[in-house]
Amino acid sequence: MDELTREFLIESQEGLDRMERCLTELEERPQDAALIAEIFRSVHTIKGTTGFLGFKRLEKLAHAGENLLGQLREGKLTADGPITTGLLHLLDSLRSILKTIEAEGGEGDGQDAELIGRLEELQAPAHAHTGHAGHKAPAPRRPVAVAAVPASAVPAAEAARQADAERENDGARQRAHASATAESTLRVDVTLLNRMMNLVGELVLTRNQVLQATAADPNLTLLSRRLDMVTADLRESVMKARMQPVSNIFSKMPRIVRDLSQSLGKRVKLQVEGQDTELDKSLLEAIKDPLTHAVRNSMDHGIELPGARQEAGKDPEGTLKLRAVQEGSHVLIEVTDDGAGIAVDKVRQKALERGLIAADRAAHLAERELLQLIFVPGFSTAAAVTNVSGRGVGMDVVRTNVERIGGKVEVDSRVGKGTTLRMRIPLTLAIIPALIVRSVNQSFALPQGALSELVHVPPQKAAAAIEWIEDTPLYRLRGRLLPLVFLDRLLMPANEHKRVTERDNFIAVLDADGRRFGLVVDGLADPEEIVVKPLSAVLKTIGLYSGATVLGNADLALILDPSSIALKAGVALSAEEGIQAQELEEESTATALQYLLVETAGRQAAVPLESVLRIEKLPVSRIEYIGYRPVLNFEGQLLPVEDAGGVLGAAQGDPQAEIVVVVCREGNRHVGIAVSHVLDVAGGGDLFEAGTSQQTAGVTLLKERVTGVVDLRGVAPLPATEQAGDWNRISETVA
Amino acid sequence: MSTTGTQVNRKEKAGTTMVEMCSVRVGQAYFGVPITHILEIVGSAQPKPVPLAPAFVGGLVHYRGDVLTTVSLRQLLGLPAKEGRQDILVLETAGGCFGLLVDAVGEVLTVSSADYEPNPSTLDERRRALFAGTYKLKEGLLIMLDPDRMDPMRLAEGLAA
Repeated sequence: MDELTREFLIESQEGLDRMERCLTELEERPQDAALIAEIFRSVHTIKGTTGFLGFKRLEKLAHAGENLLGQLREGKLTADGPITTGLLHLLDSLRSILKTIEAEGGEGDGQDAELIGRLEELQAPAHAHTGHAGHKAPAPRRPVAVAAVPASAVPAAEAARQADAERENDGARQRAHASATAESTLRVDVTLLNRMMNLVGELVLTRNQVLQATAADPNLTLLSRRLDMVTADLRESVMKARMQPVSNIFSKMPRIVRDLSQSLGKRVKLQVEGQDTELDKSLLEAIKDPLTHAVRNSMDHGIELPGARQEAGKDPEGTLKLRAVQEGSHVLIEVTDDGAGIAVDKVRQKALERGLIAADRAAHLAERELLQLIFVPGFSTAAAVTNVSGRGVGMDVVRTNVERIGGKVEVDSRVGKGTTLRMRIPLTLAIIPALIVRSVNQSFALPQGALSELVHVPPQKAAAAIEWIEDTPLYRLRGRLLPLVFLDRLLMPANEHKRVTERDNFIAVLDADGRRFGLVVDGLADPEEIVVKPLSAVLKTIGLYSGATVLGNADLALILDPSSIALKAGVALSAEEGIQAQELEEESTATALQYLLVETAGRQAAVPLESVLRIEKLPVSRIEYIGYRPVLNFEGQLLPVEDAGGVLGAAQGDPQAEIVVVVCREGNRHVGIAVSHVLDVAGGGDLFEAGTSQQTAGVTLLKERVTGVVDLRGVAPLPATEQAGDWNRISETVA
Repeated sequence: MSTTGTQVNRKEKAGTTMVEMCSVRVGQAYFGVPITHILEIVGSAQPKPVPLAPAFVGGLVHYRGDVLTTVSLRQLLGLPAKEGRQDILVLETAGGCFGLLVDAVGEVLTVSSADYEPNPSTLDERRRALFAGTYKLKEGLLIMLDPDRMDPMRLAEGLAA
């Protein structure tokens, strides 16, 4: 296929996507001249180019459509139901011909006479007459509106095509503007972008190795820091190049909603929010199916028939809302309907019937936990199997697809009010932050996403801290029992392993899709940004590893998959009652923040847990000074240390003294807080000034005591540490 | 050492074809792998073991930006595992790439199809599944390995069956 044809195919497909979007909108606003002009332009462009390339079938079809659209544009006809349907058929036919051209190079020999005939029929005066009956908009306004469209802000790539289509009636000034924007954009093959992403991944690995190798050499520090910055910038740029707005998939939904509401006899209004939110191209592709499935599901099982809605006192027209919003390093995509909701009792009953859950446990599960059972394979609440959804594939497919790309999915529902399906999708796949842990004399990478906290149990304390029910190890985490999984025993079941009292135990508390457990490893190394490398099929079938990576020290490490480990070890969906208790507690203190309770020179203080990155215990001699400001040389970066409590001063006399530095994230930098001890983690309560409802700032109620909150923002930045700042910014984007 | 683009098969007299084979040693035995399947030879590598992987998996190595699964020829032949570094033949089959762990890689030999004979019927089953016949050389027998039969996915299927 030659370059010209390929270009034509891409452009036409984009034009048709636009046309589809406009057509569904046209149903609601049949008088909108701007929409009609846009549709006309798409079809016109196709017609113009096909004539040139010699695709006769396309040309004829587009010509028939253009005639009809011309009538609409001139106001001789109004876009009523039959006309919109006819135009949608035209769209489908054009699409299928384009597909044939793409696959075979030729148009194929389908029959279009019938469709062309229908399009001509729609133009017939009889039809035009009925169209005129409902025609209200004054005709003279239209040309004005048409001229106004190209001037509005459209993406640069589209502007060029618009200029082509409008050449005959557009002003020269507009054309000049359009071609200028066209020159600044470029089409790039996705495979090339993928390759670039891989290479950047390689570069990140090499950078990590260089940084580790040169950490000790002061001569190379500057150079390696520069390499670090450039690598991070390059990575960000490449990632940006792969980003696409979610509107690319959201725009497919109006048509699906339209077609489904017709076939189901329901009335549904689609609302879309956050179309500009961007997501990596490959991830966008990956969530297309789950999203479509979720929308179909909401249409089929969620939203009721107009009659039933009226009886329930609701608007007969249901609302389906699609929303995308970026939250840190994730994009949240929600599908919300105001339909019947999911009856928790039915879910419980069905789960019991299908044996998906044991009776005693079902009684203990919180409503929210029960709802998540709809994602379990083999679960479907639909009473009847329809051809829209529920044909053997259930919500488990949605979950599998979303989890495959490292996302999470959950459902919220209220009977009679509606259902919300929430998908959390990572911004990018290729590079993730991970904690490097050691077990069976090997390094493993544990994705930070699932990690909620780390607990160190030294050998002398292990006997008391780790409790057993027969052969099942448990740990009391703040009063609740946490099931433990020993990584070495899981990986090498046949071998003899050291007893917990003979080695260091680190418990990584993991939360994998509602399965909460502690993974016990022998050692911890530094957290690292790792580049995920896929495993061969034969190793994927083991199921415990989601990939492999090369660490900064050139060591290979397998990436552990927390949810598979939970499954393999038999940790069931929130098996422990503890979860339920925790959920309840979380609900009751819904607004409460978690704080790290620390002691600074005799006084207690609180640090918001969400900003704590790690806790370092080190000799006070490690603290150096720039002028009077204490700083810590932390992994080759300078970390400003806040010493409000005077911990450093108190320890100054004794060079052997150890202090604890809590490394926190503040905005886009890291700061250290010097403390004497870390005491606990607790949920803080809001405090109100007596007699007012004014919430007090800077203090919180921790364990029934009024505790001051360390003001991270108050830590002044170091002078001339721009580079360190840059580094922080980078780590923030992945954290 | 890249062998792509090398002229491999040379037509000689009526019906006999010359084939180039890379010889590898495992324990005391020598084997031949057709060089058309070899992407690269990686010397003295130390693969990372993969806990819970099927026994024939020799571990993982970092290869050109990717993570390569290796198959241990020693294990396939039922020989005891070897400590320390081993050589790896990076092989390409229809199923993708994998590494074949061998004790040492030797020279490339040119053998004639006239010297070829299929596996003897007395060979045990495990070996019959791996070997693709032998070439009778002056120095002794060169057993031909078929890379497709050592593809990890195929081996895994064999285990399951």
